[in-house]
Amino acid sequence: MNGSRKDAPALRVRHLSKRYGEFLAVDNVSFEVAAGDFFGFLGPNGAGKTTTINSVVGLATISAGTIEVFGHDNVRDWRTARRLIGLAPQEYNFDRYLSIRDILIYQAGYYGLRPRDVRARADELLERFGLASKAKETFVKLSGGMKRRLTLARALIHQPRLLILDEPTAGVDVELRIELWALLRELNEGGSTIILTTHYLEEAESLCRNIAIIEGGHIVALEATETLVKRTGRALLTVTLDRPFAPTPSLTARGARADGNPAIVLFENLSPEAIAPALAELASLGYGIENVEFRRSNLQDVFLELVRR
Amino acid sequence: MKRALEPTAVWGFGNAVGLGTLVKRELGRTLKVINQVVWPPIITTVLYVLVFGVSLGSRIPRMQGVSYAEYLVPGLIMLQVIDATYSEVSSSVFQGRFMNSIQEMLIAPLSAVEMVTGYLVAAIVRALGIATLVLTVAAFFAHAHPRDWVLYVAVTALVATLFCSLGIIFGLLAEKFDHIAVLTTFVITPLVFVGGVFTSTKMMPPLVREISLGNPMFYMIDAFRYAFTGTGDVPLAVSLGVLIVLTAAALALALRMTAIGVKLRL
Repeated sequence: MNGSRKDAPALRVRHLSKRYGEFLAVDNVSFEVAAGDFFGFLGPNGAGKTTTINSVVGLATISAGTIEVFGHDNVRDWRTARRLIGLAPQEYNFDRYLSIRDILIYQAGYYGLRPRDVRARADELLERFGLASKAKETFVKLSGGMKRRLTLARALIHQPRLLILDEPTAGVDVELRIELWALLRELNEGGSTIILTTHYLEEAESLCRNIAIIEGGHIVALEATETLVKRTGRALLTVTLDRPFAPTPSLTARGARADGNPAIVLFENLSPEAIAPALAELASLGYGIENVEFRRSNLQDVFLELVRR
Repeated sequence: MKRALEPTAVWGFGNAVGLGTLVKRELGRTLKVINQVVWPPIITTVLYVLVFGVSLGSRIPRMQGVSYAEYLVPGLIMLQVIDATYSEVSSSVFQGRFMNSIQEMLIAPLSAVEMVTGYLVAAIVRALGIATLVLTVAAFFAHAHPRDWVLYVAVTALVATLFCSLGIIFGLLAEKFDHIAVLTTFVITPLVFVGGVFTSTKMMPPLVREISLGNPMFYMIDAFRYAFTGTGDVPLAVSLGVLIVLTAAALALALRMTAIGVKLRL
Protein backbone atom coordinates (compact mmCIF):
# COMPACT_ATOMS: atom_id res chain seq x y z
CA MET A 1 0.00 0.00 0.00
CA ASN A 2 1.43 3.38 -0.92
CA GLY A 3 -1.52 5.39 0.32
CA SER A 4 -2.58 6.82 -3.03
CA ARG A 5 -5.58 6.05 -5.15
CA LYS A 6 -5.01 5.59 -8.86
CA ASP A 7 -5.00 8.85 -10.83
CA ALA A 8 -6.02 10.83 -7.76
CA PRO A 9 -4.46 14.28 -7.50
CA ALA A 10 -2.21 14.96 -4.54
CA LEU A 11 -4.77 17.45 -3.27
CA ARG A 12 -8.32 18.10 -4.32
CA VAL A 13 -10.14 20.93 -2.57
CA ARG A 14 -13.79 21.27 -3.50
CA HIS A 15 -16.08 24.13 -2.47
CA LEU A 16 -14.13 24.72 0.72
CA SER A 17 -15.57 27.35 3.04
CA LYS A 18 -14.37 28.25 6.48
CA ARG A 19 -16.28 30.60 8.69
CA TYR A 20 -15.18 32.14 12.00
CA GLY A 21 -18.41 33.44 13.48
CA GLU A 22 -19.62 36.07 11.03
CA PHE A 23 -16.30 36.22 9.18
CA LEU A 24 -15.99 34.07 6.07
CA ALA A 25 -12.22 33.45 5.86
CA VAL A 26 -12.40 31.08 2.87
CA ASP A 27 -15.35 31.25 0.51
CA ASN A 28 -16.18 28.32 -1.75
CA VAL A 29 -12.60 27.64 -2.82
CA SER A 30 -11.84 24.81 -5.26
CA PHE A 31 -8.51 23.75 -6.71
CA GLU A 32 -6.41 20.69 -7.42
CA VAL A 33 -2.74 19.98 -7.11
CA ALA A 34 -1.48 17.20 -9.38
CA ALA A 35 0.72 14.47 -7.98
CA GLY A 36 4.36 15.50 -8.41
CA ASP A 37 3.55 19.19 -8.86
CA PHE A 38 5.41 22.11 -7.31
CA PHE A 39 2.49 24.36 -6.47
CA GLY A 40 2.57 27.93 -5.21
CA PHE A 41 -0.22 29.21 -3.00
CA LEU A 42 0.04 32.96 -2.84
CA GLY A 43 -1.93 35.79 -1.35
CA PRO A 44 -1.54 38.83 0.88
CA ASN A 45 -1.76 38.54 4.66
CA GLY A 46 -5.26 37.58 5.79
CA ALA A 47 -6.28 36.35 2.31
CA GLY A 48 -7.08 32.82 3.50
CA LYS A 49 -3.83 30.93 2.71
CA THR A 50 -3.12 29.66 6.21
CA THR A 51 -6.81 28.92 6.84
CA THR A 52 -6.88 26.79 3.69
CA ILE A 53 -3.68 24.99 4.70
CA ASN A 54 -4.94 24.48 8.25
CA SER A 55 -8.11 22.96 6.80
CA VAL A 56 -6.04 20.57 4.67
CA VAL A 57 -3.80 19.39 7.52
CA GLY A 58 -6.60 19.14 10.09
CA LEU A 59 -5.71 22.14 12.26
CA ALA A 60 -9.00 23.79 11.30
CA THR A 61 -12.43 22.22 11.08
CA ILE A 62 -14.04 23.05 7.75
CA SER A 63 -17.44 24.74 7.53
CA ALA A 64 -18.32 23.34 4.08
CA GLY A 65 -16.74 21.45 1.21
CA THR A 66 -14.40 18.49 0.93
CA ILE A 67 -10.65 17.93 0.89
CA GLU A 68 -8.99 14.83 -0.51
CA VAL A 69 -5.32 13.91 -0.20
CA PHE A 70 -4.33 11.38 -2.88
CA GLY A 71 -8.00 10.42 -3.03
CA HIS A 72 -8.45 10.07 0.75
CA ASP A 73 -11.05 12.34 2.32
CA ASN A 74 -9.37 14.22 5.17
CA VAL A 75 -12.45 13.84 7.42
CA ARG A 76 -13.77 10.34 6.68
CA ASP A 77 -10.34 8.79 6.01
CA TRP A 78 -8.37 11.20 8.16
CA ARG A 79 -5.68 8.82 9.38
CA THR A 80 -4.47 7.93 5.89
CA ALA A 81 -4.85 11.53 4.65
CA ARG A 82 -2.73 12.86 7.52
CA ARG A 83 -0.06 10.18 7.10
CA LEU A 84 0.43 11.39 3.54
CA ILE A 85 1.05 15.03 4.50
CA GLY A 86 4.13 16.66 5.98
CA LEU A 87 3.70 20.21 7.24
CA ALA A 88 6.42 22.78 7.79
CA PRO A 89 4.54 25.62 9.51
CA GLN A 90 5.67 29.21 9.37
CA GLU A 91 5.86 29.61 13.15
CA TYR A 92 8.25 27.51 15.18
CA ASN A 93 6.19 25.11 17.25
CA PHE A 94 8.82 22.71 18.54
CA ASP A 95 8.56 20.82 21.79
CA ARG A 96 10.93 22.68 24.10
CA TYR A 97 11.40 19.65 26.37
CA LEU A 98 12.97 17.56 23.63
CA SER A 99 16.40 17.53 22.01
CA ILE A 100 16.66 18.26 18.28
CA ARG A 101 17.08 14.56 17.52
CA ASP A 102 14.15 13.61 19.73
CA ILE A 103 11.95 16.24 18.07
CA LEU A 104 12.28 14.19 14.87
CA ILE A 105 11.92 10.80 16.57
CA TYR A 106 8.86 11.83 18.61
CA GLN A 107 7.21 13.42 15.58
CA ALA A 108 7.68 10.13 13.72
CA GLY A 109 6.19 8.40 16.76
CA TYR A 110 3.03 10.46 16.53
CA TYR A 111 2.81 9.23 12.94
CA GLY A 112 2.97 5.63 14.14
CA LEU A 113 6.66 4.90 13.54
CA ARG A 114 8.69 3.20 16.23
CA PRO A 115 11.97 4.83 17.34
CA ARG A 116 14.04 1.86 16.13
CA ASP A 117 12.63 2.37 12.63
CA VAL A 118 13.39 6.09 12.42
CA ARG A 119 16.64 6.68 14.33
CA ALA A 120 18.76 6.16 11.23
CA ARG A 121 16.51 8.42 9.15
CA ALA A 122 16.54 11.11 11.85
CA ASP A 123 20.35 11.07 11.87
CA GLU A 124 20.41 11.16 8.08
CA LEU A 125 18.10 14.20 8.03
CA LEU A 126 20.11 15.97 10.74
CA GLU A 127 23.26 15.38 8.70
CA ARG A 128 21.62 16.52 5.47
CA PHE A 129 20.28 19.71 7.05
CA GLY A 130 23.51 20.57 8.84
CA LEU A 131 22.06 19.98 12.30
CA ALA A 132 24.02 16.90 13.37
CA SER A 133 26.31 18.87 15.69
CA LYS A 134 23.24 20.22 17.51
CA ALA A 135 21.42 16.87 17.82
CA LYS A 136 21.49 16.89 21.63
CA GLU A 137 20.60 20.58 22.07
CA THR A 138 17.10 21.95 22.50
CA PHE A 139 15.69 24.10 19.70
CA VAL A 140 16.14 27.35 21.65
CA LYS A 141 19.90 26.95 21.10
CA LEU A 142 19.52 27.01 17.31
CA SER A 143 19.98 30.00 15.02
CA GLY A 144 17.03 31.22 12.94
CA GLY A 145 18.29 29.41 9.84
CA MET A 146 18.79 26.18 11.78
CA LYS A 147 15.27 26.37 13.20
CA ARG A 148 13.95 26.78 9.68
CA ARG A 149 15.91 23.72 8.50
CA LEU A 150 14.67 21.74 11.50
CA THR A 151 11.08 22.61 10.56
CA LEU A 152 11.69 21.09 7.17
CA ALA A 153 13.48 18.02 8.55
CA ARG A 154 10.59 17.38 10.93
CA ALA A 155 8.08 17.62 8.10
CA LEU A 156 10.06 14.98 6.19
CA ILE A 157 10.68 12.47 8.98
CA HIS A 158 7.69 10.25 8.18
CA GLN A 159 8.35 10.40 4.43
CA PRO A 160 5.17 12.21 3.39
CA ARG A 161 4.13 12.26 -0.25
CA LEU A 162 2.67 15.78 -0.02
CA LEU A 163 4.87 18.41 1.58
CA ILE A 164 3.18 21.65 2.60
CA LEU A 165 5.56 24.51 3.34
CA ASP A 166 4.22 27.70 4.86
CA GLU A 167 6.76 30.49 4.21
CA PRO A 168 9.74 28.10 4.37
CA THR A 169 12.34 30.79 3.70
CA ALA A 170 10.91 33.56 5.87
CA GLY A 171 13.69 35.19 7.86
CA VAL A 172 16.58 33.19 6.40
CA ASP A 173 19.59 34.72 4.70
CA VAL A 174 20.13 34.64 0.94
CA GLU A 175 22.68 31.82 1.06
CA LEU A 176 20.39 29.53 3.03
CA ARG A 177 17.42 30.48 0.89
CA ILE A 178 19.25 29.36 -2.25
CA GLU A 179 20.32 26.19 -0.42
CA LEU A 180 16.71 25.49 0.59
CA TRP A 181 15.50 26.12 -2.95
CA ALA A 182 17.94 23.51 -4.23
CA LEU A 183 16.77 21.08 -1.59
CA LEU A 184 13.10 21.63 -2.41
CA ARG A 185 13.79 21.10 -6.12
CA GLU A 186 15.59 17.88 -5.25
CA LEU A 187 12.66 16.67 -3.15
CA ASN A 188 10.22 17.52 -5.92
CA GLU A 189 12.36 15.73 -8.50
CA GLY A 190 12.40 12.75 -6.13
CA GLY A 191 8.61 12.50 -6.45
CA SER A 192 7.31 14.60 -3.57
CA THR A 193 4.45 16.92 -4.32
CA ILE A 194 5.15 20.34 -2.83
CA ILE A 195 2.76 23.12 -1.94
CA LEU A 196 4.50 26.34 -1.04
CA THR A 197 3.22 29.60 0.36
CA THR A 198 5.63 32.46 0.23
CA HIS A 199 5.85 36.21 0.29
CA TYR A 200 8.92 36.07 -1.95
CA LEU A 201 7.27 36.07 -5.34
CA GLU A 202 10.54 35.48 -7.17
CA GLU A 203 10.72 32.30 -5.09
CA ALA A 204 7.33 31.14 -6.37
CA GLU A 205 8.21 32.17 -9.92
CA SER A 206 11.49 30.30 -9.75
CA LEU A 207 10.24 27.11 -8.07
CA CYS A 208 6.54 26.60 -8.79
CA ARG A 209 5.09 25.13 -11.94
CA ASN A 210 1.53 26.11 -11.01
CA ILE A 211 0.21 28.90 -8.89
CA ALA A 212 -3.03 29.79 -7.13
CA ILE A 213 -3.55 33.32 -5.85
CA ILE A 214 -6.08 33.79 -3.09
CA GLU A 215 -7.51 37.14 -2.06
CA GLY A 216 -10.36 37.87 0.33
CA GLY A 217 -11.06 34.14 0.69
CA HIS A 218 -11.47 33.67 -3.10
CA ILE A 219 -9.13 32.13 -5.64
CA VAL A 220 -8.43 34.96 -8.10
CA ALA A 221 -5.92 33.10 -10.29
CA LEU A 222 -5.11 29.46 -10.83
CA GLU A 223 -2.73 28.73 -13.69
CA ALA A 224 0.66 27.55 -14.77
CA THR A 225 3.22 30.09 -13.54
CA GLU A 226 4.43 30.82 -17.07
CA THR A 227 0.91 31.30 -18.45
CA LEU A 228 -0.05 33.51 -15.53
CA VAL A 229 2.90 35.83 -16.06
CA LYS A 230 2.34 35.89 -19.84
CA ARG A 231 -1.41 36.31 -19.69
CA THR A 232 -1.46 39.22 -17.37
CA GLY A 233 2.13 40.27 -17.93
CA ARG A 234 2.92 43.62 -19.54
CA ALA A 235 5.85 45.58 -20.87
CA LEU A 236 6.86 48.27 -18.41
CA LEU A 237 8.94 51.38 -19.17
CA THR A 238 10.17 53.29 -16.11
CA VAL A 239 11.63 56.75 -16.75
CA THR A 240 13.36 58.83 -14.08
CA LEU A 241 13.02 62.57 -14.78
CA ASP A 242 14.95 65.57 -13.47
CA ARG A 243 11.80 67.07 -11.97
CA PRO A 244 8.32 65.96 -10.89
CA PHE A 245 6.13 64.58 -13.61
CA ALA A 246 2.97 66.50 -14.57
CA PRO A 247 0.60 64.34 -16.66
CA THR A 248 -0.68 65.62 -20.03
CA PRO A 249 -3.61 64.09 -21.99
CA SER A 250 -1.23 62.91 -24.69
CA LEU A 251 1.12 61.15 -22.24
CA THR A 252 -1.78 59.68 -20.31
CA ALA A 253 -3.08 58.26 -23.59
CA ARG A 254 0.31 56.53 -23.98
CA GLY A 255 -0.28 54.85 -20.57
CA ALA A 256 1.94 57.15 -18.48
CA ARG A 257 1.40 57.56 -14.77
CA ALA A 258 3.46 58.73 -11.81
CA ASP A 259 4.86 55.84 -9.79
CA GLY A 260 5.13 56.78 -6.12
CA ASN A 261 8.16 59.00 -6.55
CA PRO A 262 6.86 62.12 -8.44
CA ALA A 263 10.02 62.21 -10.59
CA ILE A 264 9.43 58.65 -11.86
CA VAL A 265 6.95 58.04 -14.66
CA LEU A 266 5.76 54.56 -15.55
CA PHE A 267 4.44 53.55 -18.99
CA GLU A 268 2.39 50.36 -18.98
CA ASN A 269 1.67 48.11 -21.97
CA LEU A 270 4.10 49.98 -24.17
CA SER A 271 5.31 48.15 -27.26
CA PRO A 272 9.08 48.41 -27.96
CA GLU A 273 8.46 50.59 -31.04
CA ALA A 274 6.45 53.07 -28.95
CA ILE A 275 9.35 53.70 -26.56
CA ALA A 276 11.21 56.28 -28.69
CA PRO A 277 8.13 58.48 -29.37
CA ALA A 278 7.24 58.44 -25.66
CA LEU A 279 10.75 59.53 -24.66
CA ALA A 280 10.75 62.17 -27.42
CA GLU A 281 7.50 63.63 -26.12
CA LEU A 282 8.92 63.86 -22.57
CA ALA A 283 12.02 65.64 -23.97
CA SER A 284 9.85 68.01 -26.02
CA LEU A 285 8.06 69.01 -22.80
CA GLY A 286 11.42 70.05 -21.34
CA TYR A 287 12.06 67.10 -19.03
CA GLY A 288 15.62 65.95 -18.57
CA ILE A 289 15.79 62.14 -18.65
CA GLU A 290 18.10 60.70 -16.01
CA ASN A 291 17.37 56.97 -16.32
CA VAL A 292 15.33 54.59 -18.48
CA GLU A 293 14.43 50.99 -17.62
CA PHE A 294 12.41 48.58 -19.75
CA ARG A 295 11.27 45.16 -18.53
CA ARG A 296 8.52 42.58 -18.83
CA SER A 297 6.26 42.42 -15.78
CA ASN A 298 6.98 39.57 -13.37
CA LEU A 299 4.90 37.58 -10.93
CA GLN A 300 5.10 40.39 -8.41
CA ASP A 301 3.41 42.82 -10.84
CA VAL A 302 0.80 40.18 -11.71
CA PHE A 303 0.20 39.46 -8.05
CA LEU A 304 -0.21 43.15 -7.16
CA GLU A 305 -2.52 43.69 -10.11
CA LEU A 306 -4.73 40.75 -9.15
CA VAL A 307 -4.98 41.52 -5.45
CA ARG A 308 -5.67 45.22 -6.07
CA ARG A 309 -8.68 44.51 -8.29
CA MET B 1 12.42 2.39 6.12
CA LYS B 2 8.73 1.68 5.89
CA ARG B 3 6.40 4.57 5.22
CA ALA B 4 4.11 5.67 8.05
CA LEU B 5 1.12 4.38 6.17
CA GLU B 6 0.31 1.15 7.92
CA PRO B 7 -1.81 1.65 11.04
CA THR B 8 -0.28 0.17 14.18
CA ALA B 9 -3.49 -1.06 15.80
CA VAL B 10 -3.14 -2.45 19.31
CA TRP B 11 -6.00 -2.97 21.76
CA GLY B 12 -8.37 -1.13 19.45
CA PHE B 13 -6.14 1.94 19.21
CA GLY B 14 -5.51 2.81 15.56
CA ASN B 15 -2.18 4.42 16.39
CA ALA B 16 -0.77 2.67 19.45
CA VAL B 17 2.77 3.86 18.72
CA GLY B 18 1.53 7.46 18.65
CA LEU B 19 -0.23 6.95 21.97
CA GLY B 20 2.92 5.42 23.47
CA THR B 21 4.98 8.33 22.17
CA LEU B 22 2.73 10.78 24.00
CA VAL B 23 3.04 8.74 27.23
CA LYS B 24 6.81 8.77 26.89
CA ARG B 25 6.80 12.48 26.14
CA GLU B 26 4.68 13.29 29.19
CA LEU B 27 6.76 11.18 31.56
CA GLY B 28 9.96 12.61 30.08
CA ARG B 29 8.59 16.09 30.69
CA THR B 30 7.95 15.19 34.34
CA LEU B 31 11.56 14.07 34.76
CA LYS B 32 12.75 17.33 33.17
CA VAL B 33 10.85 19.30 35.84
CA ILE B 34 11.53 16.84 38.66
CA ASN B 35 12.29 19.68 41.10
CA GLN B 36 8.76 20.98 40.62
CA VAL B 37 6.86 17.70 40.46
CA VAL B 38 8.57 14.89 42.33
CA TRP B 39 10.70 16.28 45.17
CA PRO B 40 8.25 18.89 46.58
CA PRO B 41 5.53 16.33 47.47
CA ILE B 42 8.08 14.15 49.24
CA ILE B 43 9.57 17.02 51.23
CA THR B 44 6.14 18.47 52.05
CA THR B 45 4.84 15.09 53.20
CA VAL B 46 7.87 14.47 55.42
CA LEU B 47 7.36 17.90 57.03
CA TYR B 48 3.65 17.26 57.58
CA VAL B 49 4.31 13.82 59.08
CA LEU B 50 7.09 15.16 61.33
CA VAL B 51 5.22 18.24 62.57
CA PHE B 52 1.64 16.99 62.72
CA GLY B 53 2.04 13.23 62.88
CA VAL B 54 5.08 12.63 65.05
CA SER B 55 5.26 15.81 67.19
CA LEU B 56 1.60 16.67 67.73
CA GLY B 57 0.22 13.22 66.88
CA SER B 58 1.58 11.67 70.07
CA ARG B 59 -1.02 13.73 71.95
CA ILE B 60 -3.88 12.60 69.68
CA PRO B 61 -5.64 9.27 70.36
CA ARG B 62 -5.55 6.43 67.81
CA MET B 63 -7.82 6.94 64.81
CA GLN B 64 -9.42 4.09 62.80
CA GLY B 65 -7.26 1.74 64.84
CA VAL B 66 -3.91 3.30 63.88
CA SER B 67 -1.64 6.04 65.24
CA TYR B 68 -2.32 9.60 64.11
CA ALA B 69 0.88 9.63 62.02
CA GLU B 70 -0.26 6.49 60.19
CA TYR B 71 -3.74 7.96 59.79
CA LEU B 72 -2.22 11.10 58.26
CA VAL B 73 -0.08 9.42 55.56
CA PRO B 74 -2.85 8.24 53.13
CA GLY B 75 -4.47 11.71 53.12
CA LEU B 76 -1.12 13.36 52.46
CA ILE B 77 -0.42 10.96 49.59
CA MET B 78 -3.80 11.82 48.05
CA LEU B 79 -3.06 15.53 48.50
CA GLN B 80 0.19 15.16 46.53
CA VAL B 81 -1.26 12.87 43.87
CA ILE B 82 -4.13 15.29 43.22
CA ASP B 83 -1.89 18.34 43.12
CA ALA B 84 0.83 16.77 40.95
CA THR B 85 -1.63 15.23 38.47
CA TYR B 86 -3.71 18.33 37.94
CA SER B 87 -0.81 20.76 37.75
CA GLU B 88 1.29 18.56 35.43
CA VAL B 89 -1.48 17.79 32.93
CA SER B 90 -3.03 21.26 32.87
CA SER B 91 0.33 22.97 32.41
CA SER B 92 1.41 20.48 29.73
CA VAL B 93 -1.80 21.01 27.72
CA PHE B 94 -1.76 24.77 28.22
CA GLN B 95 1.93 25.08 27.29
CA GLY B 96 1.33 22.93 24.23
CA ARG B 97 -1.43 25.31 23.16
CA PHE B 98 0.51 28.43 24.08
CA MET B 99 3.69 27.32 22.27
CA ASN B 100 1.68 25.59 19.51
CA SER B 101 3.74 22.43 20.07
CA ILE B 102 0.51 20.48 20.53
CA GLN B 103 0.08 20.94 16.78
CA GLU B 104 2.70 18.20 16.33
CA MET B 105 0.03 15.80 17.59
CA LEU B 106 -2.95 17.53 16.02
CA ILE B 107 -1.63 17.13 12.46
CA ALA B 108 -0.63 13.50 13.08
CA PRO B 109 -2.92 10.49 12.68
CA LEU B 110 -3.68 10.49 16.40
CA SER B 111 -7.32 10.42 17.51
CA ALA B 112 -8.81 12.37 20.43
CA VAL B 113 -9.24 9.08 22.32
CA GLU B 114 -5.57 8.25 21.77
CA MET B 115 -4.47 11.72 22.86
CA VAL B 116 -6.54 11.67 26.05
CA THR B 117 -5.46 8.08 26.77
CA GLY B 118 -1.82 9.13 26.34
CA TYR B 119 -2.16 11.89 28.92
CA LEU B 120 -4.12 9.49 31.13
CA VAL B 121 -1.65 6.60 31.10
CA ALA B 122 1.19 9.01 31.86
CA ALA B 123 -0.86 10.59 34.67
CA ILE B 124 -1.58 7.20 36.26
CA VAL B 125 2.06 6.08 36.06
CA ARG B 126 3.19 9.45 37.47
CA ALA B 127 0.59 9.28 40.26
CA LEU B 128 1.55 5.73 41.26
CA GLY B 129 5.22 6.74 41.21
CA ILE B 130 4.67 9.79 43.40
CA ALA B 131 2.34 7.88 45.76
CA THR B 132 4.82 5.07 46.21
CA LEU B 133 7.78 7.44 46.65
CA VAL B 134 5.90 9.47 49.25
CA LEU B 135 4.80 6.24 50.97
CA THR B 136 8.36 4.91 51.03
CA VAL B 137 9.82 8.09 52.51
CA ALA B 138 6.95 8.50 54.99
CA ALA B 139 7.56 4.93 56.16
CA PHE B 140 10.75 6.14 57.87
CA PHE B 141 8.63 8.30 60.19
CA ALA B 142 5.27 6.51 60.36
CA HIS B 143 4.70 2.83 59.79
CA ALA B 144 1.89 3.27 57.31
CA HIS B 145 1.53 0.66 54.59
CA PRO B 146 -1.41 -0.47 52.45
CA ARG B 147 -3.19 -3.61 53.60
CA ASP B 148 -5.04 -3.77 50.28
CA TRP B 149 -2.67 -3.06 47.39
CA VAL B 150 -5.38 -3.55 44.75
CA LEU B 151 -7.50 -0.85 46.34
CA TYR B 152 -4.40 1.36 46.73
CA VAL B 153 -3.65 1.10 42.99
CA ALA B 154 -7.31 1.36 41.95
CA VAL B 155 -8.05 4.52 43.94
CA THR B 156 -4.77 6.14 42.87
CA ALA B 157 -5.57 5.35 39.23
CA LEU B 158 -9.14 6.66 39.53
CA VAL B 159 -8.03 9.88 41.24
CA ALA B 160 -5.27 10.33 38.64
CA THR B 161 -7.87 9.83 35.89
CA LEU B 162 -10.22 12.38 37.44
CA PHE B 163 -7.57 15.06 37.88
CA CYS B 164 -5.92 14.32 34.55
CA SER B 165 -9.33 14.90 32.92
CA LEU B 166 -9.75 18.15 34.88
CA GLY B 167 -6.20 19.11 33.85
CA ILE B 168 -7.09 18.58 30.19
CA ILE B 169 -10.35 20.54 30.54
CA PHE B 170 -8.76 23.53 32.28
CA GLY B 171 -5.61 23.32 30.14
CA LEU B 172 -7.87 23.72 27.12
CA LEU B 173 -10.03 26.48 28.58
CA ALA B 174 -7.28 28.61 30.14
CA GLU B 175 -6.31 31.79 28.35
CA LYS B 176 -3.29 32.38 30.57
CA PHE B 177 -1.30 30.39 33.12
CA ASP B 178 -3.03 32.22 35.93
CA HIS B 179 -6.37 30.62 34.98
CA ILE B 180 -4.98 27.14 35.67
CA ALA B 181 -4.10 28.16 39.22
CA VAL B 182 -7.69 29.26 39.92
CA LEU B 183 -8.91 25.67 40.34
CA THR B 184 -5.92 24.71 42.49
CA THR B 185 -6.05 27.75 44.76
CA PHE B 186 -9.78 28.20 45.21
CA VAL B 187 -11.18 24.70 44.82
CA ILE B 188 -8.74 21.78 45.02
CA THR B 189 -6.48 22.84 47.91
CA PRO B 190 -9.26 24.07 50.25
CA LEU B 191 -11.45 21.02 49.56
CA VAL B 192 -8.57 18.58 50.07
CA PHE B 193 -7.56 20.22 53.35
CA VAL B 194 -11.09 20.03 54.74
CA GLY B 195 -11.72 16.66 53.08
CA GLY B 196 -10.36 14.47 55.84
CA VAL B 197 -6.59 14.64 55.36
CA PHE B 198 -6.01 15.66 58.97
CA THR B 199 -9.17 14.62 60.79
CA SER B 200 -11.97 12.10 60.62
CA THR B 201 -15.44 13.51 59.94
CA LYS B 202 -16.55 11.40 62.91
CA MET B 203 -14.68 13.85 65.14
CA MET B 204 -16.51 16.84 63.65
CA PRO B 205 -19.73 18.48 64.87
CA PRO B 206 -22.82 17.04 63.10
CA LEU B 207 -23.37 20.12 60.92
CA VAL B 208 -19.74 20.21 59.71
CA ARG B 209 -19.91 16.48 59.07
CA GLU B 210 -23.01 16.97 56.88
CA ILE B 211 -21.20 19.69 54.92
CA SER B 212 -18.13 17.46 54.52
CA LEU B 213 -20.26 14.81 52.85
CA GLY B 214 -20.76 17.28 49.98
CA ASN B 215 -17.01 17.54 49.48
CA PRO B 216 -15.89 15.16 46.70
CA MET B 217 -12.31 15.07 48.04
CA PHE B 218 -13.60 13.47 51.23
CA TYR B 219 -14.67 10.34 49.32
CA MET B 220 -11.31 10.04 47.53
CA ILE B 221 -9.33 10.32 50.75
CA ASP B 222 -11.70 8.01 52.62
CA ALA B 223 -11.52 5.33 49.92
CA PHE B 224 -7.72 5.60 49.76
CA ARG B 225 -7.36 5.44 53.54
CA TYR B 226 -9.55 2.34 53.49
CA ALA B 227 -6.70 0.60 51.63
CA PHE B 228 -4.47 1.32 54.69
CA THR B 229 -6.80 0.95 57.66
CA GLY B 230 -9.49 -1.37 56.31
CA THR B 231 -12.15 1.01 57.56
CA GLY B 232 -13.61 4.38 56.59
CA ASP B 233 -15.98 7.14 57.62
CA VAL B 234 -18.47 5.98 54.97
CA PRO B 235 -18.86 2.52 53.37
CA LEU B 236 -16.23 1.81 50.69
CA ALA B 237 -18.94 1.23 48.06
CA VAL B 238 -20.21 4.78 48.62
CA SER B 239 -16.81 6.47 48.40
CA LEU B 240 -15.79 4.38 45.37
CA GLY B 241 -19.18 5.03 43.73
CA VAL B 242 -18.83 8.79 44.10
CA LEU B 243 -15.26 8.64 42.78
CA ILE B 244 -16.24 6.52 39.76
CA VAL B 245 -19.18 8.80 38.82
CA LEU B 246 -17.08 11.98 39.09
CA THR B 247 -14.23 10.40 37.14
CA ALA B 248 -16.52 9.15 34.37
CA ALA B 249 -18.16 12.59 34.01
CA ALA B 250 -14.82 14.47 33.89
CA LEU B 251 -13.31 11.95 31.48
CA ALA B 252 -16.31 12.14 29.15
CA LEU B 253 -16.08 15.95 29.09
CA ALA B 254 -12.31 15.91 28.46
CA LEU B 255 -12.79 13.43 25.61
CA ARG B 256 -15.60 15.47 24.10
CA MET B 257 -13.65 18.73 24.27
CA THR B 258 -10.58 17.12 22.70
CA ALA B 259 -12.66 15.48 19.97
CA ILE B 260 -14.37 18.77 19.09
CA GLY B 261 -10.98 20.47 19.30
CA VAL B 262 -11.99 23.18 21.77
CA LYS B 263 -9.29 25.86 21.45
CA LEU B 264 -7.16 23.28 19.61
CA ARG B 265 -8.54 23.16 16.10
CA LEU B 266 -9.52 26.57 14.82
